Amino acid sequence: MKPGIRGFWTADSARISILGKAANEKMPRRLLRSVPALASLVFSVALLAALAAFLSLAVSGIQRSGECLHLTQASWQDVETPGFSAPPASLDSRSLPDAWHATALPLTMHASTPTDAHRITWIRLLVAGQSATESLALYSVRLKTDGPIALYINGKLVYRAQQHGQQWNSLFTPLWVPLEPGVADVPVREILIRLEHTSQYPVAVSSLWLGPADALRGRYQTRQWLQQGLPAMLNAAFLAVGIFALFVWFKRRHDSGYLLFFNLAVIAFAAHLHYYVDLPIARDWFGWLVVNSLCWLLTIGHFFLRLLHGRPLRWLSVGMVAAPILIGVATLPVSWGLPNTQAVLGVIYALELLMAMTVGLVGGVCTWRSSPEGRLVVVAVAICVVLGMSDWMLHNNVVGPEGWFLGAYTNGITFIFFGLLMYRRYVNAIEEVERVNASLAERLRLREAELEQSHQALREIEQRQLLSDERQRLMQDMHDGLGSTLISAIRSVEQGRMRDAEVSQLLKDCMDDLKLAIDSMEPVEADLLLLLATLRFRLEPRMEGANVALAWDVKELPALDWLNPSSALNILRIVQESIANILRHTRATVIRVATAIEGAGVQVIIEDNGQGFDVAAALWRSSGRGLQNQQRRAQAIDGKVAWVSGEVGTRFTLWLPLQRGNLMLT
Amino acid sequence: MHSPAAGQTLPLIHVAIVEDDLGFRRALTEAIESAQDIRLAGVAGTRVEGLRLLLSAPADVLLVDLGLPDGSGIDVIKAAVRQWSSCSVMVATNFGDETHVIRSIEAGASGYLLKDSSPAKIVDEIRSVASGGSPISPIIARQLLARFRQIGAGGAGRPAVPDQASQLLSAREKEVLELITKGFTANEIARLMSLSPFTVRSFVRRIYSKLNVTSKAEAIYEARNQGILDG
Repeated sequence: MKPGIRGFWTADSARISILGKAANEKMPRRLLRSVPALASLVFSVALLAALAAFLSLAVSGIQRSGECLHLTQASWQDVETPGFSAPPASLDSRSLPDAWHATALPLTMHASTPTDAHRITWIRLLVAGQSATESLALYSVRLKTDGPIALYINGKLVYRAQQHGQQWNSLFTPLWVPLEPGVADVPVREILIRLEHTSQYPVAVSSLWLGPADALRGRYQTRQWLQQGLPAMLNAAFLAVGIFALFVWFKRRHDSGYLLFFNLAVIAFAAHLHYYVDLPIARDWFGWLVVNSLCWLLTIGHFFLRLLHGRPLRWLSVGMVAAPILIGVATLPVSWGLPNTQAVLGVIYALELLMAMTVGLVGGVCTWRSSPEGRLVVVAVAICVVLGMSDWMLHNNVVGPEGWFLGAYTNGITFIFFGLLMYRRYVNAIEEVERVNASLAERLRLREAELEQSHQALREIEQRQLLSDERQRLMQDMHDGLGSTLISAIRSVEQGRMRDAEVSQLLKDCMDDLKLAIDSMEPVEADLLLLLATLRFRLEPRMEGANVALAWDVKELPALDWLNPSSALNILRIVQESIANILRHTRATVIRVATAIEGAGVQVIIEDNGQGFDVAAALWRSSGRGLQNQQRRAQAIDGKVAWVSGEVGTRFTLWLPLQRGNLMLT
Repeated sequence: MHSPAAGQTLPLIHVAIVEDDLGFRRALTEAIESAQDIRLAGVAGTRVEGLRLLLSAPADVLLVDLGLPDGSGIDVIKAAVRQWSSCSVMVATNFGDETHVIRSIEAGASGYLLKDSSPAKIVDEIRSVASGGSPISPIIARQLLARFRQIGAGGAGRPAVPDQASQLLSAREKEVLELITKGFTANEIARLMSLSPFTVRSFVRRIYSKLNVTSKAEAIYEARNQGILDG
């Protein structure tokens, strides 16, 4: 099994065990632990609720509708005019032709046959005297025209708008005319609205409210916020998230989704800018941008969907790139571009609607089964199309002028749906990281266990090796010393060649050997002096018996880190042999044991005042086995032995290195 | 005990032995036969007999073998320290190896006797221990130094043993131990430190009893700790 696969499965089981543990926890404890989180959640939600309550109190003027006049009856007439003209400062409605048609508000008019002519639509509202105890205001959802707007109260011009034609945000901005004291001190009797427009423009007028400014402001502000403020906020948020995605993409170039999301946010921002800017609508670059960005949005949407369902859809992709380019080139605000007429716009919007439906439909078919994220995007596209159509209906007076331009919310919808998408990704990513971590931890644990096992095995092997080495060492020692001495003792006793005293001495030697072998196993902590001390301690009784004085002339020595039981026994045996030789073969009365530092090593010096011997001859003779043994043992621990013998005694030196190369060779 | 009389008459030393090895028992008997001042006061061959022996009149020196047929001599040593408080306990050992000796000292022994010692040596050791001295070997000295160093550095790793300060080695005690690890005999140390040889041996006795107290305190502490952990 591959480690990865095993990791995958074990991670799952690990997670299950964690979950199990969590479930076993006692309930009250868990509740108690979640109290801080709960408290902070409650706090934040309460804060939002309080804000909402405060704001709704601020616009509570709606409650005072009783004080306001809702003007729903009017009369209107259409007058042809050669072109847009400035409205007079005061105007008596009786000077207008007496061709008034009574109507109810809201009033929607349908475009007449297109001519080059301009028209003025007059709307007259008669008010049954409004007493003015406080400052009044006039509020209306919208006045829909593509020319200048002028508003007269009691024949006096009080308000002008769109003096250079319709502006991009005009339709989304409600009418709010505060009536200054000079105007409002007399009761308002007549409101006259002058709407200039081109002949083909579908003019519309919503109903009007007249009343105290404070009572009406709530309506006005709610309308304003919902139609412009909130969508603007969503728009800005969308762009901010898009920029965030861009920075994510900088770090993750291979993840084109983030770049696509940034594109989407930027284009959506551009496409919805016209809801908020008060530039005049004209055949210029901004107009071009407004018309085209919708196209680009659909292209991005298509590529996003393609990213989600993973099918190339080559022809559709080509079409989705080609169409915006064609439309873009065709609508360029240059002399050879298509004219900016309602008919052309209608065709373009129809094309865009077709694109939207294609993208939504194809995307839906491709992703419905495979990708829940794709489904989300398709639903978003569908909702946006519906919202866009509601805008179209308002534009073309299919619905009355008091309706909502919901197209402003397509950005919000896109933002919400892509936010959902990101939320899913984010949460999934965190879960994935946690899963990977758990799996890593599990794999680490397994690995550790494996290592521990192999370590254990190694230790066992080492232990066995150590035991075997030790056994070999002791066997060797017993064989060379104790064993052979005992055998010769037994033989001598059996043959009756030995006196009891001799046997006793021989056995005592054996006992000394044994004690030294045991001492060699004590921890001496690299201390050669301690080793020598032990030797002295063991040999003391024998030296006392031999009437030899011992001069203990040792000096502090550096630690010999290589000193292990095996080398310790070799040193003990070398020195033991040396002292035994003195006791056995010389008539020395004093033995001096000294230590010294010599070059890169230490020296043990054993001097006696005996008669001395011929070193070369002794080494040569077979009976000099003791000396040869000393040499052999010294070599085994990288040491050297030397004898200098003369008439006045013998000086034996054992030199030992401070450092040894390879301990395994001993 | 009688006051030391002038001349040859030394105070009588009563020796008891708990040992199953008949050979050593005989060797001991023979060794003390030659000494006027030592009497064999009791013999036991097993742990149980040894513990029973402790109910009789206390001896001055008790020799205990650790490997008794029915249990460890350590029990006998511990009981002797309690019941014969004036008695000096010696562990009888073949090799005087560190494990046996240190364990015995921790249990309260005042010294050890190598079983292959000559009769003269046996008598000497008994006299020495009866008069308040204790034998020591270089390896045991090194072990004791290591033990007390551990206790001294106790603060961090080891549990704090109550009344610790009194159980640490004095400078002179430490010096004695260090000289022993370098191979110097009691006589040489006495010369080097301008003391009497007997003082050196009594230093060793004091060090042994410190180890005994320390290990007792540690045992109590550990038992209590264990109790807390278990409870």
